[in-house]
Amino acid sequence: MEPTTTNIEKQTAAGVDVTTYDALVIGGGIGGEEAALNLANMGYSVIMVEKDYSIGGKMVHLSKVFPTLDCSACITTPKMSETIRHPNIEILTYSEVRGIEKDGKIFNTSIVKKPRYVIEADCTGCQLCEQACPVVVQDQYQYDLVGRKAAYIPFSVAAPRVAAIDIENCTLCGACERVCPPNCIDFTMKEEVIDVIVKSVIIASGFELFDAKKIPQYGFGKYKNVIHAMQMERQLVPTRPYNTVLRPKDGKMPDNIAYVLCTGSRDKTIGNPICSQVCCMYSIKQAQLIMGALPMADVTIYYMDIRAYGKGFHEFYIQTKNMGVEFVKGKIAKIDEKDDGDLVLHYEDIENGGAPKTATYDMVVLAVGVLPQNNIPELFKNEVLELDEFNYVKQTDKLVNPGMTTIDGVFVAGTSSGPMDIPDTILSAGSASAETASYLRRL
Amino acid sequence: MKQKIGVYICQCGSNISDYVDVDKVLDSVKDLEGVSLVKITMFSCSDSTQNEMVDDIKNEDLDGLVVASCSPKLHLPTFRNVAIRGGLNPYNYVQVNIREQGSWAHSDNPKKATEKAIQLVKAGIERTKYSNALEKTVIPSEKAVAVIGAGIAGMKAAIELADMGLSVYLIEKDFFVGGRITQWEDLCTVEELASDTVTRLYDEVKSKDNLTLFLGATAENMSGSVGNFKLTINIRPRYIKSDFNKDKIEELTGKCKTLTPNEFDFGLTKRKIVFKTYPGALPDIPVVDIKNAGDDINIINEFKDHLDLDRKDESITVDIGSVILATGSDPYTPKVGELGYKEIDNVVTFQEFKRIIELSPNGKLKYNGKDIKSVGYIYCVGSCQAEGNMYCSRFCCTCAISTSLSINKRFEKIRFYHVYKHIRTYGKQEVLYDQAGRQGDIFFKFDEDEEPVVSMVDGEGTITFNDLLTDGEEISVSPDLIVLVTGMVPRDDYKRVAEVFKAPIGRDKFFNEAHPKLRPVETVIDGIMIAGASQGPKSISESTKSALSAASKADALLHKGEIELEPTLAMIDTSLCEGSGLCIQACPFNAITMIDAGGKKLAQVEKSACKGCGWCLAVCPHDAIELAGYTNNEMEGMIESLITV
Repeated sequence: MEPTTTNIEKQTAAGVDVTTYDALVIGGGIGGEEAALNLANMGYSVIMVEKDYSIGGKMVHLSKVFPTLDCSACITTPKMSETIRHPNIEILTYSEVRGIEKDGKIFNTSIVKKPRYVIEADCTGCQLCEQACPVVVQDQYQYDLVGRKAAYIPFSVAAPRVAAIDIENCTLCGACERVCPPNCIDFTMKEEVIDVIVKSVIIASGFELFDAKKIPQYGFGKYKNVIHAMQMERQLVPTRPYNTVLRPKDGKMPDNIAYVLCTGSRDKTIGNPICSQVCCMYSIKQAQLIMGALPMADVTIYYMDIRAYGKGFHEFYIQTKNMGVEFVKGKIAKIDEKDDGDLVLHYEDIENGGAPKTATYDMVVLAVGVLPQNNIPELFKNEVLELDEFNYVKQTDKLVNPGMTTIDGVFVAGTSSGPMDIPDTILSAGSASAETASYLRRL
Repeated sequence: MKQKIGVYICQCGSNISDYVDVDKVLDSVKDLEGVSLVKITMFSCSDSTQNEMVDDIKNEDLDGLVVASCSPKLHLPTFRNVAIRGGLNPYNYVQVNIREQGSWAHSDNPKKATEKAIQLVKAGIERTKYSNALEKTVIPSEKAVAVIGAGIAGMKAAIELADMGLSVYLIEKDFFVGGRITQWEDLCTVEELASDTVTRLYDEVKSKDNLTLFLGATAENMSGSVGNFKLTINIRPRYIKSDFNKDKIEELTGKCKTLTPNEFDFGLTKRKIVFKTYPGALPDIPVVDIKNAGDDINIINEFKDHLDLDRKDESITVDIGSVILATGSDPYTPKVGELGYKEIDNVVTFQEFKRIIELSPNGKLKYNGKDIKSVGYIYCVGSCQAEGNMYCSRFCCTCAISTSLSINKRFEKIRFYHVYKHIRTYGKQEVLYDQAGRQGDIFFKFDEDEEPVVSMVDGEGTITFNDLLTDGEEISVSPDLIVLVTGMVPRDDYKRVAEVFKAPIGRDKFFNEAHPKLRPVETVIDGIMIAGASQGPKSISESTKSALSAASKADALLHKGEIELEPTLAMIDTSLCEGSGLCIQACPFNAITMIDAGGKKLAQVEKSACKGCGWCLAVCPHDAIELAGYTNNEMEGMIESLITV
């Protein structure tokens, strides 16, 4: 099959006009964007389904990325804007795939577009609704560090930059409606079901962060000064809420910070025996950024092994060590909180005799690992998408066709197939798009 | 000159407006000559503002556009598109960077940041005034790609490109395909054997009509630019006729006596001069190593009717639009005496160990005729060095551990000692580390700055080190075989390859990508892609992924059969050119030639080769060259306004 030159082909199935696309990309993170752009640039039409209000995935929320310390938002936003503007890519945000049924060479796909209560085409992103809204709740995009309104633009570089109403917390006071210049707030908006036909599917739905509450001995959620790494990340981004690093309990600038690596990784007790691949490096990167934000603070990283395996990673680790960040080989057994909010870490000091020791810190960052999103197989109604022993999408021919899954025409990209950093995700997405393109040619 | 310029000053949320007083910037430029409209925007790049700009261009009949926001690297294409949507030539748009070069750089001094922003915006307006409408040139491009190296990455990229409908030239310097993995056979983390993988790929390569495989071939020279390269390939003779008689060649092989060290087995075995690197090597045609024939030359001559002895090196040139470099890696070779290598009998490298395993008889692991019951690995040899190769070779931990597991399925119980600096079994490979411990392997950790010592103790090769896992205690082990877990280095001819293709090389000597995060398979040279371990150490699966990524980038570039060239090219003013030829010397892309115009020598620019770098402008003694989009008028106007307060 030659690439479709027009974006959309109309087909009539059961008397209803259904749009056909060459590929469905599930997930609008960096992996999904790369896969969609590759296919679109090769001339194929793509529909991308993103469950969040904006594309960009996890990467757009990072501060700087290892080992080059590039500003993450600044290298992600052009990719997001390229995806949004590409004539061969159709994007549905705040939408979820409800069911995919294979029918010969096509997949009948049903997508649910959830109501954001704002007419996307009309919203100018002026934020007047946000100013008018009287409701304040915790901001999930800032990992609860600060608040947001119930009528809000998800985050500053959101794409599309369109407001949404958080109906769970909305009091229906109508303040936003009254101030909206283009009158685009619509509380009558309903869930919409969109049926499309796609010829192939790329799963790029990404990963979940490990919930640190599952290791109660670390006190996350109980001890305020124990935070997880994404919360630290948000304190370090260019648009950081506090313009410095503060510990949550009393707003004190911490003098010493400890990192607990392998929180939720390499740990059979919580059911995740594998290494998450990114935590060592993001912790090392954060340590460098903290040294910039708080020049007087000491940073200690408690590790099992330092997995600095990628291009330029080991060099970055050595540089960080030379900058004065302390590395201690030892798994943290538990954390206690003192009255003043300081935290006592109990660990085995492996390289110095192996005795149990304690150390006290102002603040502790849990380097949480990545976990699979395991609801993906449910999307496929008449075929079986197998998972591997760690619940990631199973790659059936890892060496030669790394994107191939148990369903012909369904490919996997990025962290849906296992833990991965950004460059590996880009390669995996590039690979999945190439495999999809040659599958489409063979159709 | 442009008379109706629209100027948009972006707050970038608060990224700019926190430090730059945007109202003051607006006041300073609103009355300038040629400015017909100035607006402050929250996010210029947002869809809504873009639409507003499009409407303004149309309604106010703007003839120039300035957006003062972030770096043009980020949003130049965005606003050029806005210009096009409004019906304006995209080259009448100028982006002024007041974020990276303004608010972010001077967050400590908002007053000065504002002053700087004002001057930059004024300069941008001035440049816009003198800007010319430019049109992109579209040139036809070759729907063909050369892939250098027929290892796993090269073969996979070639197959995919052929599937995508492009013509592919797969160029392998060896006489057999498969690259480094053929030396392994027993692969890590998967059940599949290397020979099966290579056979699978080779069969696919052979099945494609639009894929030509050259063996014994090297890329010698390349000219042209993206879309239209000319690549010269040198092909060495195999000396065996393509319609060879299998029985006769077997008879010839049988009669040959001369033996030379077999490079494929790192010299652990010897081979004849008519040979295949290993029994299953593909294609299934031997090669004659005439240079080392020695006395066998007489036997060779006896069989000359079945051979192609008169054949010489052949040179051919192919037209291609893009290149994928998939030249792979070499194993690190320790120096003589480094950890006892080549001085102590039972010290070998990991890659040699893989051959020893394959060459061992069933059920018994043997080296130099002796049974091997225990193996001591020393990790990070040639990787993670304090000086030299500072990088981690990525594959070695997993492969060494995986081998300790698979070996124990194949041979009688073999005890493994792992003397390591770091164990980096990242991701799912972690379970292998766990399994090795359960199998009874013993792990020792040495300090990053304190390498182990290998020496002869009581007649036995012995590894001595301080083990950090047992309080720095000094430990010695004397295994039957000491294996130096050596990492990857670029192929020995990487410099030559880099020179032919002008491929950039990184500090680690591997080919360097355009952007380590987002463009890992492209290089800064348009049309030159890099795949597999030539870019940096990789596992097989990772190599395949990068090969496929490179294939998709090449297809995106070439599938239309035409390539758009930026119009920012050097332009010669023939009335001023005196034919000095200095520009020809300065041009790094060989884009300028001298022509004879009625007795007068004149420089001429080849559009498809010019990159608009501007070198020629600087050396022209007669100021006869201008760069479109950066003309003297535009530049002088900018400078004038920058220095006028």
